[in-house]
Order: sequence, then C-alpha cells, then structure tokens
Amino acid sequence: MMTFFFILLAPYLAWLVWAAFRYPVPLSYNWRSLWQRWVGTLATMGAVAIVVMIFVVVRSMATGVQKTYVKSGRDDQVIVLRPNARVELMSVVMRDQARLISTHPLIARDEEGPLVTTDAVVTKQVPLADGTGSMSVSVRGTTPAGIRMREQVRLVAGRWFQPNLSEAVVPRRMVGKYVGLELGHTFEMASRRWTVVGIFDGDGSAFDSEIWIDANDLTQAFHRNNAFSSVLARMRRPENAPAFIAEMESDVRLKLEAKTEPRYFAEMGDAGKPMQILGQIITVILTVGAIFAAMNTMFSAIAGRTSEIGTLRALGYRRREILASFQWEAILLTLLGGALGCLGATFFNGMQTGATSMNTFSDVGYAFAVTPALVGQGLAFSVIMGILGGFIPAWKASRMVIVEAMRG
Amino acid sequence: MKYLSLIVRSLFRSRLRTVLTLLFITLSVFLVALMQGFLGTIDALTTSAASGSRLVVQDKASFTNVIPESYGNFLRAQPEVEAVTQFQWFGGEYKDPKNFFANFAVQKDTYLRVYREEAGLDSLPPEQVRDFLMDGNGCAVGKSLADKYGWKLGDVIPLRSPIFDMTVRLNVRAIFKGKRQSDEQALIFDLKQIQEAVPWMKGRVGSFVVRVKNGRDIPKLSERIDRNFANASPETLSMSENAFNLNMMKMFGDFGTMLHSITSAVLVAILIVTASTMAMMIRERSTQIAVMRALGFTTGRVMSLLLAEGLLLSLLGGLLGVGLAMAVAKVTAGLASAVLPWMADFYIQPDTLMLCLVCTLALGLLSTFIPAYQASRKPIVEALRAL
Repeated sequence: MMTFFFILLAPYLAWLVWAAFRYPVPLSYNWRSLWQRWVGTLATMGAVAIVVMIFVVVRSMATGVQKTYVKSGRDDQVIVLRPNARVELMSVVMRDQARLISTHPLIARDEEGPLVTTDAVVTKQVPLADGTGSMSVSVRGTTPAGIRMREQVRLVAGRWFQPNLSEAVVPRRMVGKYVGLELGHTFEMASRRWTVVGIFDGDGSAFDSEIWIDANDLTQAFHRNNAFSSVLARMRRPENAPAFIAEMESDVRLKLEAKTEPRYFAEMGDAGKPMQILGQIITVILTVGAIFAAMNTMFSAIAGRTSEIGTLRALGYRRREILASFQWEAILLTLLGGALGCLGATFFNGMQTGATSMNTFSDVGYAFAVTPALVGQGLAFSVIMGILGGFIPAWKASRMVIVEAMRG
Repeated sequence: MKYLSLIVRSLFRSRLRTVLTLLFITLSVFLVALMQGFLGTIDALTTSAASGSRLVVQDKASFTNVIPESYGNFLRAQPEVEAVTQFQWFGGEYKDPKNFFANFAVQKDTYLRVYREEAGLDSLPPEQVRDFLMDGNGCAVGKSLADKYGWKLGDVIPLRSPIFDMTVRLNVRAIFKGKRQSDEQALIFDLKQIQEAVPWMKGRVGSFVVRVKNGRDIPKLSERIDRNFANASPETLSMSENAFNLNMMKMFGDFGTMLHSITSAVLVAILIVTASTMAMMIRERSTQIAVMRALGFTTGRVMSLLLAEGLLLSLLGGLLGVGLAMAVAKVTAGLASAVLPWMADFYIQPDTLMLCLVCTLALGLLSTFIPAYQASRKPIVEALRAL
C-alpha cells in the first residue's frame, strides 16, 4: 500500500526535491520557523512519532516470524511427510518407510554416519510459570544425526539426551517461562517423568520453541508404535534435491510428499497473523489522525506568518516557491517525528514474544526484528504523512494575495 | 449555563484548528474504543452464561491428542452430569484451503442437548432435527455460514481435512439459528464418519464436552474426573469451557498486552496534541483574557471557563469517536466473522464506552490545566500592555 502511495506521489516528490535545489527559499528558514512555534511542533512530532513507532513495531513482528523460519532451514535438506500433511504434527511416516528413505544414495554423510533423521513430533500442554494457565508446546523426538543436522542448535548447558532414559533437552527461551523446564528438574508427559539434562540455544530458529527428546522414547511413551512424523535428509549437493523429492513422491512403497526445508518453513509463517492484521488496521486509523495533527500545526504556522509570506511574495518569490517551501516544512516536521518513532521502535528490537502457529497449534517464539529496511519504511511513511498533511496549508499559503497578506 | 455560548464561541474562534483537533481526537478515541471493544468481546466470549455450565475433558498431554470413547461411561455416571457429548475438530477445507470455518465431528444427539442454546434448538423445525439425526452423512450448518456459501437444505458439501487426510461428503440436513451470530458459524456432522475411515480414530474422540446441572459443581467435578483417570493412559485434563476458550484465545497471541500498550500510546498522543492546541488557543487570547479579568472576572472563573472549553473539545471528540466506533463495529462484525467466527459478536460494550468518555474528559482537563492556570494568573497589566 505504501508503494502505491509513493508511486502516486512520485512526480510531486520529484518536483519537491528539484525545487529544494532550484528555488531559493532556503530550508534553514523552515527549520528556524519550526522551532519558533516549538510547542505545536513538538506536539505534532510526538504524535507522528507514536504512530510511526506503532507502525514499525507491528511490522517487526512479521519480520521476526519470518526470520525465525528462515533461520530454521537449509536448502540442501529435504523433509519427507505424509502427502498433504503440511506440518510434521499432522504427518505420519512409518518406520519401514523411514528405513527405506535412509538408505538413499543421494543422502550425504559425515564422519559419524549418514545425515538423515527420523523425527516424531507431538504437542504437549505445559503450565506457565506465572500461573496464568498453560500453552501448547511442540515436543520433538529426534536422533543424534538430527542434532548434527540442525547446526544452529547449540548446547549451552548440561548434555544431550540418552536413549531409553526419558531425558529431555529444552531451549533456553523456555527456561523460566514454563513450570519444570529447568536444568535438573523433571516434568511429566505421557505418564512418564522426564528429566531435563540439557539446555540448548536455537539461535532464534523455530527449534527454540521445541522440547527435544529421543525419537524412540517419544514413540514408545505416546504409544505411536512405529509411526514417526517426518524424515529429514541432507543431500550430497543442493542440486540433488529435486531428483530426491521426485523419487519420494513416485516410489510406490513410499508415496510421500517431500520439500526442501526452506519451503517447508516458508509455508508455516502464519504464526501471529491475526496480530499483524489487527496491527495494520490500527496503523491506518492512527495515520489519518496524525495527518490531521500535522495539518493543524502547518495551518497555525502559516496563520502566524501571513505577513512574512506577503513579504516573501513582494520580494519576488513565486507562488510555487512558497508552496515548495511550506511543503518542505511539513515534511521536515513529520520526518523528525518519524525519526523519533523509529528510534523508539529500536528499543523493541530483539525483545522476545510468542504466538501460536495455526498450523501446529503450538507456541512459536520469535523476537521483534526492527531491520534497517523497516526503519526506512517508517521514515518513508512519515514523509507521506508530511506530504498529505502539509499540502493543503502550503497550497493556501501560496495562494495568498500579497497586499492582504502584508497587512497581516 | 449562561456562559455556554461564550465557551462555544471561543472554542470555535479559530474554526479550522478546532475542527482539525476535533478530528484527531475523534479518530484516536474511535481507535481506542475499537481496541478495547475487541478485548471486551474476547472477554465476553470466554465467560458466556451457557459455557459456564460446561466442562471440557481432553488428553492431559495435549488437546491435539485423542482419548478413548470409553471414558464417557465414567462421565455419564456422575450425578452432577446432565449430558455428555463427544467432540473432534475436523479442520476441513471447503474446495479451497482459504475457505476456513469451524467444522467438527460430534455425537449428534448428545451434541444437541449439550449445546442446545448455541444450536438454537428451539428455533429448529423438528423435521430438520429428525433428518439430521437419521442421515449418517447429514450435517447441521449455522445460518450465517450457510448464507455465506449459499448452502440450502439437501446440498452436498465436500470437506477435505488435512489432519485426517480424508474427504467427507455431507448432506445439509439442518440450518440452525443461534442466539449470537458467532454461534452460527459452525458446521457439525457425525463423528462415526471419521472413526470408520481413520484406523487410529477407532473408538477414540478428541474430547468430551460435559453439561452439568449446576455450574457451581464444575471445579469439584473436574477434579474428580482427573483423579479417576490419574493412573490411566492417557490421563485427562478437565476444565470449564470458559477456561478452555481462554486458552484458545491465548493462541492468537498476546492481544491484551499489545492492545493495552497501543491504547496508552494513543492516549498520550491525544494528550499532547490537545494540550498544544489549547496552549496555542489560550496564548492567542491572552489580551482578551486580560480584558475579561480587568472587567472583574475572578481568576477562578476565568480558569473554569478555559477548562470548560478544553472539556467541551475533548467531550465532543470523545462522543464522535465512540459513536463512530459503534457504527463501525456493527459493520466489521459481519465482515470480520469471515476470518474469525467469534468476531460476529463484536460490539462496543457499555464499560468500554464509559472508559473512553472518562479518559477523554480526563485528558481534556489535563491538557487545559497548565495553559489555563498560566493565563489566569498572568498579571493583567502585562497582558494588556501587548494590546
């Protein structure tokens, strides 16, 4: 939507930039005028700052979710699921199918063995530490190869789980947020007690929202027999992925669906969508309000300076020069507010929050990501507010009759 | 009262500025009312009267797991229980994954008893109830949902569920009207359809919904149920439907924190913009104010006149904003319910209304106080000298 506005306003903006260099009413005049009426200027700046801040922060949630999923996938890794399953939670891959896939010649190896893992994923209701209820959390049963394949996941305390011992490793993000998820503590799941033996850091990836346990432990505890959720395989070369995917789908013994990890995660980026839609509606309403505030300040600025404008005109400045000058003053005003708002928004950068994915019904943690691109968007947004709020006052100023204006 | 015309006149002395400030306040209050109304709607949803007499029993580990159908025997045997129904979320898609609406499989006859208010049983013709119960492939559809897709009695609806990897073809046998719009956004059909088609669903259900005779019995009944299944596998987790809904709401994200913080930010914006307008307005009139005081208006009177001006401005803005919000809420309720079914009940509650008005009045007073105080205390001679 913003791009649309910019395309619409582009000719006018181009003319303004040209005018700033070409016409002789200097910007420093506008700068000084702004501070002469500092009460109104500061108030409008404040209003614009609040709007731009909300705009940037709301957008940074979407960027944060995206970042989480981008960090989670490698393009030389392929995930195999039941057809149409969309997410691991809904998928079923049987043990013999998984075994068949694991022996595929296109799969890469490292010193310790082939880089392929058969995972099982379930969700578990975990009570929140602050006593306000519970959240649904993903639990992943995985294998040593699965740990090696997710290089962004690093152990920061304790050790990895051993098979058959009901041990779990939890992400650092969950420690303190949920009851029992602390090093050395235990929690109950599927009628068993699980001991937290390690804490990992998933570097902001989707794995930061999962409890990890041994794959066989999980299938036994949850009575899933031989039903796993997915197979993740690393290709010898990224170019091998299409051939591997085609074989997964055509082999009559498998008839499974496969996709590269980045694509799988891209399709999951829905967490927090309702919040984002709501945020956008809020920003639109607020923007209109801020435009009124900017218009107000500019009208007052012009009302207080009619004789000045008259003098300028009498000195030979042309109408469009006055128009450009006042338009620049408005843009300067909102741009300052915008910069202030962006500055405020950066305080949110990196702050942790969570939302539930509508695909997996489980909590996905992500951080607000205020990127330079977003700051740029925020500033551009404030320029649009300046143009829309300043045009009518500036136009009025440029239409003043010299004699009347000079009379004050 | 005799000063009213004076107040109005001075307020609109600079018409353009007052109108623009008014528009700003109106929009901001409008937004605050919408946000708070939204939160209020969520609140009302999780505490509706009928759901106060219902209890949800699910797998302790996760609500996405299934539990044995046989658990129902214990539930039905409890003295406090009026009816028990089985429930399974189907997540079916109609033609396109984008066509999202609530559809679930239930035990049909008991569902109609447990959810008699929501299913609008009193308004449902008996022959539709009979057709729905008799037809194994029958489904009942809420009226607004049926209107949205143009379904009529006898139509066949294919629903494909990615959860169960199956497609059901359902005949529309009943179209029910609910008390609230949001109750009419669902489609229900027989759980047997899933149980017969999906091996791991045989003899299993997603959850039980229990209707109790008296809502007060819910806490002790939940405890008794969970204790009974404490050593069974799987264990159960029972909670009131209100608590269950609250948990579900949480899944959409922390709306509360986000909306409350935006509300406070917007209130601050209103405060500074109104304050600057009032300051400008009063500063421009310092001579006029001095004249009034020279004529014998006391400091207190001048100040209350100025404060009344600020109050009037904010009150006008507040009323306009709240009115706009109420009108818009009506329109949005219909539109938004396409995405979020419960949004059909979206409206601005009386509490929210009061909150908005009180806030704007407080802001009006607060923003006028300092400039009014200064103007009413300024030495008359000094102000008159500027004449």
